[in-house]
Amino acid sequence: MSWLSDATLLHLCRVADWPDLTGTRYDCVDKIGQGGMGAVFLARDRELDRQVALKVLSAAPDDADAKARMVAEARLTARLEHPGIVPVHDAGVLPDGRFYYAMKLVRGKRLDEQVSRTTALAERLQPFQKMCDAVAFAHAHGIVHRDLKPQNVMVGPFGEVLVLDWGAAREIGPRADAAVVGTPGYMAPEQATANVAVVDARADVYAVGGILYFLLTGRPPAYGPGAVLARPRQFDRAIPRPLEAICLKALAPDPGRRYADVADLAADVADFLARRRVRAYPEKPFEVVLRLATTYRTVLTLLLAYLLIRILLLVFFRS
Amino acid sequence: MKKWLLGLLLGGVLGIFDGLTAPLSAPETAPDLLGIVIGSMFKGCIAGVLIGYFAQKVHSLALGIVFGLAVGAALAFGIVWLQYQAGKWYFWQVMLPGSAVGLIVGYVTQRYGRRL
Amino acid sequence: MDHDTDLGGPAAAFPATRCTLVRAAGSADPAVRRQAAETLIAAYWKPVYKYIRVKWRSHNEDAKDLTQAFFAVAVEKGFFDPFDPAKARFRTFVRLCVDGFVANERRANTRLKRGGGGELLSLDFAAVEGELRRQESAAGADPDDFFRQEWVRELFAAAVDDLRRQCAGSGKELHFKLFERYDLDGPDAAEKLSYASLAEEFGLPQTQVTNYLAFARRLFRRLVLERLRTTTGSEDEFRDEVWRLFGGDVR
Repeated sequence: MSWLSDATLLHLCRVADWPDLTGTRYDCVDKIGQGGMGAVFLARDRELDRQVALKVLSAAPDDADAKARMVAEARLTARLEHPGIVPVHDAGVLPDGRFYYAMKLVRGKRLDEQVSRTTALAERLQPFQKMCDAVAFAHAHGIVHRDLKPQNVMVGPFGEVLVLDWGAAREIGPRADAAVVGTPGYMAPEQATANVAVVDARADVYAVGGILYFLLTGRPPAYGPGAVLARPRQFDRAIPRPLEAICLKALAPDPGRRYADVADLAADVADFLARRRVRAYPEKPFEVVLRLATTYRTVLTLLLAYLLIRILLLVFFRS
Repeated sequence: MKKWLLGLLLGGVLGIFDGLTAPLSAPETAPDLLGIVIGSMFKGCIAGVLIGYFAQKVHSLALGIVFGLAVGAALAFGIVWLQYQAGKWYFWQVMLPGSAVGLIVGYVTQRYGRRL
Repeated sequence: MDHDTDLGGPAAAFPATRCTLVRAAGSADPAVRRQAAETLIAAYWKPVYKYIRVKWRSHNEDAKDLTQAFFAVAVEKGFFDPFDPAKARFRTFVRLCVDGFVANERRANTRLKRGGGGELLSLDFAAVEGELRRQESAAGADPDDFFRQEWVRELFAAAVDDLRRQCAGSGKELHFKLFERYDLDGPDAAEKLSYASLAEEFGLPQTQVTNYLAFARRLFRRLVLERLRTTTGSEDEFRDEVWRLFGGDVR
């Protein structure tokens, strides 16, 4: 039996995994990622002369379950035509029997790499809102992502946002299996157990709340047995109370106490940014006055200037 | 709310306020207070409608403010002239607040209110 | 697509059912158990020997005796019978059995008799010793990672031999030669090889080099998966190992 050096071993791992694209319109360029179900390769589409990403099933070709899951992932993602969801261009089977699908090559940074706590709050929330639009679109089409996290959101150089990795996505409804899918910290409690029959849009609301928590504090929500979720303002007192309230409402352990879907959460965030009243936060009268004064500060300034003119006229002409 | 309506309401309210505060800087006008308030209110409403209509047609904060200022000043000057004909000279007492009201209505109608 | 399904080699006697060898090792039929044991030994003896040498810091003679004795006793006493795929990978189970065996032998301080119940296979320890000397990864390696790496090395080496046999048997010797030149010898070569240089060396068009290499690699992958399937303890373990292997995690 031939002896294989370490270098040869690594090389063989790589070439054995390399997709044989004979008979397709693609040329493989490089491996750019490895996911749970498959590897992602940078490839060139010869017909359209553009670069694409190819996701190729890593499992053995006769693993019918793995293939079915990946086919479902490709079909589901292809159904969701939205600027914030990575489009699927093509799908097929390689000569070695592995299923693959071609999608847009996403260039940019992951959300966790793109933003830091030094970035202005409004800047941090911009990609967040775009991400919410994409997820809300999916919910409107009956699809729940189930594995939302900052690492699955890409921000492009022109501010475009794409939600990736719909491999765990399912149609909203009764659970077909008891498998636990998701990422600790962003996984809703009902997702982590086999007790709840239905995993719906509120599971994604929890994950989106977790992403908001990350954007505000720089860390994922606490998870694990005995973990206690710290309020965001415990890490940074500058975090506005309404925004903290939105975050905590989304992260409520009881699905009934969260937003019904991501569109509601996004609407509250939009209200916060527009200095309107936020549903998740019951304002005190003083806070209402302060908010209105901040919102209409220019008009108030002009009215005060008008009053000042009146007072000056009074003083001047009376004297 | 449409911009011209916003202008009308704001102009009217500020006009009423204008009228009510007139005796403070010119106590001799106190006996004619009701007439001053009504006149000031109408002046404010007319200014508000004109400025609001302008904001509906021209979408420029700077131009809206300048136009408001000009309309407010013009209508205020009309009052000054009428008073002058009656032998009274209230130039700064009328021009300054009147122009300021026009400026405020010009800003508000550009920033807020529905275009159509 | 190549529909050639013959494994070749010691595993050829087993039908292509899943995880057959591991289950067969616990079979009630002594003949089946012996055949399965031989195949498992062929897959594991080198990793076990190297593991004992590196982790237990045994001299080569002691390591030889321990390796031979381990497999002899394992077959005789059914070390692999209590394997439960729900608790661990089969490779981890083997490693733990080795650890337990070596620890017991050292505690008892008994002189090992070579063979025990008779040599199952002729094991070329001298060659393995030579391999160990050439390996940079042995020193300072984590024992579990080292064992896994050696297990992968044997898996791939066996698949390469299967590939050689299959190509020879189907008149595709040139395919294998190109594979050997580029993918086996290439990584260690002083000068980086290219498809163009291979095409020139073999007097072939470059597109043919590309196609032949693609064929050989496709077949190689299939053979690796077939070998892997027979030496893992369950379908889940097989899937997990496929992911780890082709995710580039050789360690």
